[in-house]
Amino acid sequence: MNMFLHELKAYRKSTIVWTCSLITLVILFLSMFPTFSKEAVAFKEILKGFPEPIRKALGLSIDSISSILGFYSYMFLYTTLCGAIQAMNLGTSIVSKEVREKTADFLLTKPVTRTKIMTLKLLAALTCLVITNIVYLAVASTMASFVKTEEYSYKIFFMISITLFFVQLMFLALGIIISVVMPKIKSVLPISLGTVFTFFIIGMFAATTGDDAMRYITPFKYFDTNYILKNASYEFSFIIIEIGFIIAAITASYIIYSKKDVHAV
Amino acid sequence: MNVIEIKNLTKNYGKARGITDVSFNVEQGEIFGFIGPNGAGKSTTIRTLLSLIYPTSGSATIFGKDCVKFGPEIRKEIGYLPSEVFYYDNMRVIDLLKYSASFYKKDCSKRIIELAEIMDLDLNKKIDDLSYGNKKKVGIVQGLLHAPKLIILDEPTSGLDPLMQQKFFDLLEQENKKGATILLSSHILSEVQRLCNRVAIIKEGKIIKVEKISTLQESNHKKFKIEVKAKIDDNYFKVSGVSALDINGNIISFLFRGNINFIMKKISEIQITNLWIEEPDLEEIFMHYYEKED
Repeated sequence: MNMFLHELKAYRKSTIVWTCSLITLVILFLSMFPTFSKEAVAFKEILKGFPEPIRKALGLSIDSISSILGFYSYMFLYTTLCGAIQAMNLGTSIVSKEVREKTADFLLTKPVTRTKIMTLKLLAALTCLVITNIVYLAVASTMASFVKTEEYSYKIFFMISITLFFVQLMFLALGIIISVVMPKIKSVLPISLGTVFTFFIIGMFAATTGDDAMRYITPFKYFDTNYILKNASYEFSFIIIEIGFIIAAITASYIIYSKKDVHAV
Repeated sequence: MNVIEIKNLTKNYGKARGITDVSFNVEQGEIFGFIGPNGAGKSTTIRTLLSLIYPTSGSATIFGKDCVKFGPEIRKEIGYLPSEVFYYDNMRVIDLLKYSASFYKKDCSKRIIELAEIMDLDLNKKIDDLSYGNKKKVGIVQGLLHAPKLIILDEPTSGLDPLMQQKFFDLLEQENKKGATILLSSHILSEVQRLCNRVAIIKEGKIIKVEKISTLQESNHKKFKIEVKAKIDDNYFKVSGVSALDINGNIISFLFRGNINFIMKKISEIQITNLWIEEPDLEEIFMHYYEKED
């Protein structure tokens, strides 16, 4: 419990900053919706002028963009990008922070198992993500009901929004496995930004080519908002892969971390 | 009873460094010194005991339990002071110590205040703002606050001023009197000499000798310094048992090991003006071991 609280405290600032930027993003975007929907026809004309690959890469779907859900799912791509960086940062710092700040000796000579350390750190990181998501969801829902021009399915709105959490989970797991495998991470940001943007660009690329196989590579394309809009459900195969990936990455991290030599600095 | 038993402990880091076949025991209630130059494998051995790193082969037990298997359980009763202390910078000293104490299921708040007073440590400062020596003090308090049965110190005195060193040594002796066993690694011989009952000497990853300090100092060597009236033959003292012979004009000095009567007879046969016989300090013996190996 002590470790859990200590970790939470350590992540408090960054969680607040990320949550704030996520809600700022959603507030800004959604507040543009009333103007946008008024001029929807004109906007659609402009968008049609864009070459199709660019529209796809940016996640613009002309059919649905004039509805609030369509508009929301367009901006949501950038929300997940933001959220992915937050989760990847958290995941990568979990273990590497102790090594980098040279506090591993302190923690690991206490009467606790490494498994417990890992579990509590993981729980703390998850708590941060859950808090971020709850606050985000609350703000996004309120904002959406403010700016809506017609009734919309809250179920679908919720289904889209919660994929933020699912994508974050994958990046968290990815960050953790990277941080236990790499011997020493001098700085978290280059690694997390690099990884997240690589996947984001792969995602844009996958969208332009429409290649379904490529969607399996990048977490950003696991939850296709257009699919959710049409079917009000997720794609089963992606959910299975996500769960499989997370379980494998976390299990491997536990095993590697408990067998790892912690060297003097 | 042995608190620490190390059997054929080996740790390889690829090709370089590491320790080979290290074996020694530390008995209950003793202050055990672990000396050797930098990079000899002191920290490697200690880190293996704390299961920060895992041995390639061999084993070590603490309180009769295997270090790797029972790590967390063993560590309840260990206080550890690393050679370089680093803590969560943005915490206040008291918060860090309380966090440290929270891992042990006992109330340590009184002891924290006591120790901080002895070590003259300001509990309300931020760790970030502390000097190296003061951080070291935090480390000392942190290592002792739960009244551990085994205290492991890795080059503990670097960064402490002589006054603080003294206080720290007194503190260690008190803990030892209360029943704590202490393993002290150092490359500073005088502090080992001052505190320890027995020492293990390590060099290039191998234990060269485990010996009582008193044996090392007394029964093995005497340091002779003789002032002679007239210059004598350079080879006069080149006999078995004599080492580190140095002739400087009328002053002859050497270390002697063996039957003291023999060397006294030898001295009585020449004309001398002055004679000093001293216990050699550990440093001289230590250098002696090292030179012999080279």
